Amino acid sequence: MSAGTQVHANLTEEQVREISGGLDEPEWLLETRLEALEALDSLDMPDVIKTPGREWTDLHELDFESLVDPLNAAENKDQIGPDEADVLSWADAVQEHEELLKEHFGSIVDPQENYLTALSTALFSTGTVIYVPEGVDAEDVTVRTEQNSRSLFNYTLVVTEESSSVTILERQSTGEEAEEQYYSGVVEVAAGENSYVQYGSLQNLSEEAYNFTVKRGVTDTYATIDWIEGNLGTQLTKTEVSTELRGDSSETQIVGAFYGHNDQHFDLDAKVWHRAEHTTADLVTRGVTDDVARSVYEGVQDVGADAWDTSSYQRENTLMLSDESEADASPKLIINNHDTEASHSATVGQIDREDLFYMTSRGVDPRAARNMLVEGFFVPVLEEIDVDELRDDLEDLIGARLRQRD
Amino acid sequence: MSSDQDHLKETDTEARFEFKKDENAAVKSDKGLTEEVIRMISEDKDEPDWMLERRLRALEQYQNMPMPSDWPGMPDLSELDVEEIIPYIRPDVDKREGVDDWTELPDDIKDTFDKLGIPEAEKNALSGVGAQYESEVVYQNMQEQWEEKGVIFCNMDKAVQEHPELVKEHFMTTCVPPSDNKFAALHGAVWSGGSFVYVPEDVTVEMPVQAYFRMNSEGMGQFEHTLIIAEEGSEVHYIEGCSAPKYGTHNLHSGGVEVFVGEDAHVQYSTVQNWSKNTFNLNTKRAICEAGGTMEWVSGSMGSKATMLYPCTILKGRGATDTHITIAFAGEGQDIDTGAKVYHNAPDTSSTIESKSISKDGGRTNYRGLVHIADGAENSSTAVECDALMFDNESTSDTMPYMEIEESKVDVAHEATVGKIGDEDIFYLQSRGLDDDDAKKMIVAGFIEPITEELPIEYAVELNRLIELEMEGSLG
Repeated sequence: MSAGTQVHANLTEEQVREISGGLDEPEWLLETRLEALEALDSLDMPDVIKTPGREWTDLHELDFESLVDPLNAAENKDQIGPDEADVLSWADAVQEHEELLKEHFGSIVDPQENYLTALSTALFSTGTVIYVPEGVDAEDVTVRTEQNSRSLFNYTLVVTEESSSVTILERQSTGEEAEEQYYSGVVEVAAGENSYVQYGSLQNLSEEAYNFTVKRGVTDTYATIDWIEGNLGTQLTKTEVSTELRGDSSETQIVGAFYGHNDQHFDLDAKVWHRAEHTTADLVTRGVTDDVARSVYEGVQDVGADAWDTSSYQRENTLMLSDESEADASPKLIINNHDTEASHSATVGQIDREDLFYMTSRGVDPRAARNMLVEGFFVPVLEEIDVDELRDDLEDLIGARLRQRD
Repeated sequence: MSSDQDHLKETDTEARFEFKKDENAAVKSDKGLTEEVIRMISEDKDEPDWMLERRLRALEQYQNMPMPSDWPGMPDLSELDVEEIIPYIRPDVDKREGVDDWTELPDDIKDTFDKLGIPEAEKNALSGVGAQYESEVVYQNMQEQWEEKGVIFCNMDKAVQEHPELVKEHFMTTCVPPSDNKFAALHGAVWSGGSFVYVPEDVTVEMPVQAYFRMNSEGMGQFEHTLIIAEEGSEVHYIEGCSAPKYGTHNLHSGGVEVFVGEDAHVQYSTVQNWSKNTFNLNTKRAICEAGGTMEWVSGSMGSKATMLYPCTILKGRGATDTHITIAFAGEGQDIDTGAKVYHNAPDTSSTIESKSISKDGGRTNYRGLVHIADGAENSSTAVECDALMFDNESTSDTMPYMEIEESKVDVAHEATVGKIGDEDIFYLQSRGLDDDDAKKMIVAGFIEPITEELPIEYAVELNRLIELEMEGSLG
């Protein structure tokens, strides 16, 4: 079903023109926005998993009429990076890198892929462009976004030239809290030949907020894109992290960590498309559900017919801390080339009773023992993080959330 | 292999399955699905009113339900036109309820089942045999020793007449209601033939009970219904085999299987399915398992153009157990979309699913599975294991498990692997003097061993032969 009419009353072409004009955007970009706006009527919500009798995530619950307020966006943003690389606000990037934008904007995530990507394309008012020239190693690029308005639409583009590398930490949090907020983010990463990108994200928005994000990368030959995806905030998150391995011998890793409590709902997709020879993917996600929180995980490893000599691995583990929480998972393999080594595994369970017994028998207080075991559960994920700040913060947030428990 | 199996060796397997017979029909319905056709089927069977009413209600539900269309990667059903399918053909057999002496069958039907090896199988290893030809069971026999203990094994139409209370209570009520899905509704409207098995309390039927379903006519649909009721503490193993020759137009098989596993009872349901490669095989099979009961599904899916079949167990009572062992083989032009569904609705329940698939020459296999653990089903555990073997680059192998976990005190594990047939394994076997084809056959035989060892030798041999047949000469 198309949900386009839900929001249209609130959105006008004039608003889109005003946003684009305020950023001094070229005509082609305005056109792209207007086309996306017009397409809203005919686009569907992003796909969600359905099994007999249930839809795993009900996006139609979102009341866009009251959530979207495009002309009153407000935020605090830090966009920091080393001198050798360009880390630019959207307004600066429009002035300085129009050719780069023209080449890449909307080329990886189709603006009209679904209703929410089109909404994001039409209305985004803030963003970051990270450009790493050939041979440059750019460490510690940091983008912090603090949302201070009802809705915020954010766009990020990362382009790495041949043999360069970059580590990026992106964080989203809520400053001024409105009753309900909507954060929407689209991230496109184009990894040039033999370049390396680690894109870490820590989403810690208010628990009143709704969040929709798509992060997608494409690799050139020998390139690597590693994603770290941390999700702690919001009442409803629908997010996809994915890589299209388009260049021979390219690689990707998608590492996820989430911790849902209260009545949070996380719908997390990790996807990889093997579209070249000798490509490798490793997907690792670990998460906790507590109280009446619910996690929905879909992992897809899609091996195309031309993807000879593919290696593709996926693991997903969920720890349930309460009886009322729910953990749903669907790790899918789609294999069209037989020269493939692929596996996936998924587990759901609670804290191992023997481990708990062992620790309490050594004199550790049961609550501390449980917290240590949960923290230990996340270690395999934390180990994959290159950026210290991201690893430490994620660890601290998990620890703090655990200590909130009774 | 024992000498009992000689008949399997002697007959060419392909000839056994692919031969065709001239149509043998006493009563044949019109094509398509109308109230008239339903009334005609019911009248021809001299059914009580309540069954006709159920049929008509199911028809209404069928007409109101859309075709499934939004399943990711589902098989293409666009060539299936139910309106072109002949839903009912009664073969020309003197006695309406079938015969219990093999020699009384018309020669062409007897010949068909002889070629399939049914009478020998019965003689050698089985407690009872039913054979269905087109829409009717033409032969049914149960060894006396089990009859004396109160075991009932008869065709479904006869059960409606002779055991109306049992059928009324269990037939498409709680286990597979017609509202379950479009093809269950279709089945509820036009079902014909099939088996009824009743095992009284604490009775163990030590030898398997077998039914064989054969589709012979072109463009027909077969809709047999199997109802198994295993009372508390009883035990039975039911085996079905299915085949149909190949015709130009499409056949439809849409059976319904309902199994009631009583407290501490144990039911094994084994299937070797080898429908011709123009058959759409869209079945609904489900078991409800009471406390302490065990349900085991063993299935080999070889034939059909497209199969959509996910045998389901509802673990209703504390401590109930489910086991699924499946193997799917998809060759050229085949889309075998099969898997398992398990609902853990009580504490201390456990399930294991072991799924193997082989795809070659452009075939597609998919494991589609659902494990649901309800809130309150504490101390439940499930382990799902899928392995896929691919022979060539035209083939596709997918895995789509769904896990819905609402209870924390559980142990849930899923793992799947996909790989090509190992070059090193083949090299090793070749270096021991086997040629390439034989090496691959041997690897496949080893790959599917977990299922063949669950089957009586008759069926294990047949499954192996079918797979050999599929692989013959066309290995890349």
